Amino acid sequence: MMSVSNCKKKIEDMKNEDLALYFLQQQIGSNDDDSSVDSSVPTELNTINSSGGFAVVSRDKLSVKYTNVNLHGHDVGVIQSNNPAPTNTMIYYFEIFVKDAGAKGHISIGFTSNNFKMRRQPGWEPNSCGYHGDDGLLYCGHAKGEPFGPTYTSGDIVGAGINYAQRLFFFTKNAQLVGTAYKDNTMNPPLFPTIAVHSLNEEVHVNFGQKPFTFDLKEFEAQERMKQQVKIEEIPLPPNLSYGIVRSYLLHYGYEDTLDSFDMASRSTVPPICIAQENGIDEQEITYALNHRKTLRQLIRDGEIDTAFGKLREWYPQIVEDNTSATCFLLHSQKFIELVRVGALEEAVRYGRTELSTFFGLPVFQDLVKDCVALLAYERPLESSVGYLLKDSQREVVADTVNAMILSTNPNMKESKNCLHSYLERLLRQLTACCLERRSLSGDQGEAFQLQRVLSAGKRA
Amino acid sequence: MAASKKVITREEWEKKLNDVKIRKEDMNKLVMNFLVTEGFVEAAEKFRKESGTEHIDLATITDRMAVKKAVQSGNVEDAIEKVNDLNPEILDTNPQLYFHLQQQRLIELIRNGKIEEALEFAQEELAPRGEENQSFLEDLERTVALLAFEDVSNCPVGELLDISQRLKTASEVNAAILTSQSHEKDPKLPSLLKMLIWAQNQLDEKAAYPHIKDLSSAKLEDPVI
Repeated sequence: MMSVSNCKKKIEDMKNEDLALYFLQQQIGSNDDDSSVDSSVPTELNTINSSGGFAVVSRDKLSVKYTNVNLHGHDVGVIQSNNPAPTNTMIYYFEIFVKDAGAKGHISIGFTSNNFKMRRQPGWEPNSCGYHGDDGLLYCGHAKGEPFGPTYTSGDIVGAGINYAQRLFFFTKNAQLVGTAYKDNTMNPPLFPTIAVHSLNEEVHVNFGQKPFTFDLKEFEAQERMKQQVKIEEIPLPPNLSYGIVRSYLLHYGYEDTLDSFDMASRSTVPPICIAQENGIDEQEITYALNHRKTLRQLIRDGEIDTAFGKLREWYPQIVEDNTSATCFLLHSQKFIELVRVGALEEAVRYGRTELSTFFGLPVFQDLVKDCVALLAYERPLESSVGYLLKDSQREVVADTVNAMILSTNPNMKESKNCLHSYLERLLRQLTACCLERRSLSGDQGEAFQLQRVLSAGKRA
Repeated sequence: MAASKKVITREEWEKKLNDVKIRKEDMNKLVMNFLVTEGFVEAAEKFRKESGTEHIDLATITDRMAVKKAVQSGNVEDAIEKVNDLNPEILDTNPQLYFHLQQQRLIELIRNGKIEEALEFAQEELAPRGEENQSFLEDLERTVALLAFEDVSNCPVGELLDISQRLKTASEVNAAILTSQSHEKDPKLPSLLKMLIWAQNQLDEKAAYPHIKDLSSAKLEDPVI
């Protein structure tokens, strides 16, 4: 048996060659729950950074009143929210209720940046934007406004929002959309929801979502999504592209029975679906060893690890000759898991001692080894934190690894990393990477792309 | 503005691609969704066995596919009966679909040279519906025009006899049944592929990076700078 340090070195050496390690690494971390919630959303008015003296913020920090007589343009009672508008959503929105328009109704709502001059109306200064109640004008970085919407006064509910997807600000009055304004590149996050009062007795209450909005934000968001979707749906696709991609997926993973049914059904439709065969070479690459791959997948899915090992030794001895390879490790750990599943714990312990202990302490393997061994600690392991090991998906990982390893033995395979990903997966990776990159180049504004959301969207309740 | 575009080399991009996490489960779901929505009943069942991916009740696909097939092979009467067996509300609440099916029936009668039957059917079944709706009437007139030509393959409305007309009607029925069953009528995969094209175009505005131009081979091409 090899010493641990020898083994470690060996792992380092293999790192570049052992394809199966890829599956192991993919698995690590896939069980991490990365649902970290960004908690810093606007919840109340910022009483520290406000134009003290001109206006008074209520105790609950959700309303503001101008208690002075205004004298000039530099004694505006401006208040920002405590936190900037979140950027990881498609749309951010908040509302105000004008309790009292006071002497002149110089009320405004909008967004301002970090270093905004806290004695001016939002919109009057650069990097700010505001919809003003007394004239209904929209101010975007100048003291001069543009015609925008109706004026608003006591009793009105006015809203301001950011549509990150369209790079627009939008404003509402009494549940109706008033209009939108282009959010240019100077208006970058952090942007603070901002309100201002500027004449005696003006009083405004703000709703950061703690109460339901009067504007139907859900519907608005759904419509915005639909607009984008319609644009995307208009893009033409080559005929039968999806068929070809599904077919190559079935080939790649060795789902041979499905493939046979799929092919038969495609041929019998009216008219028959013919999938372009121009890339015949690739086709050969993935039909390689189809039946062997299917058989091994079946065995692994049925938990028949010994038989799978046997077949591999017979058909592809090169894959299993090195007992310290990631493939062997995954198979051994799966065998261990199968023993635990059927309750053969003593046998599992014995098996673990002979086959798994060698992998202890090796960085890439140790997480899975630990989790496997931890199965022994629970009376009902399926309900434990390592219960994922007993799920079908774990068998699938092992089966996928073996599948990729067999593909890699194909002498015609030009690039071994082609064994790892089906066409479908490559396309989905490209899609995700494009969306993430675009978001990161736009200052991380807007919703991050998530395949799962797309997959679950559109399901009716 | 081209000068300010960020350039992402193939190496950097491949690293980003590698960092993306795609769950096998999600891809399986996507494939299952395709098989089910497109009506590959047997393949969907095999796929469930081979991949462990769950699917909706396949009996509903079988019925739906039987209707689709009936229209595709010209048995419109049979198709209408089957739709009504499934759910009579589908045709009751969808006069346009019902008209298109009847129109297809008329087309099939003309195709089979049953001129008398076709005329009777047009006058008794279709004309009254045409009176309710101008666009139905136009469709009816266009269809009846087929009778005026000896050589229909060369007549201006000849496309009605084309196989594509059957497919159009069949897919209309298919969508209506799916809607009535609260299933989505379109598979998700084509939308995602379109989204990929869209996302690549969007990113073009900001960066030069390796594209996948040919989706069918999923080949990554070097960035054009």
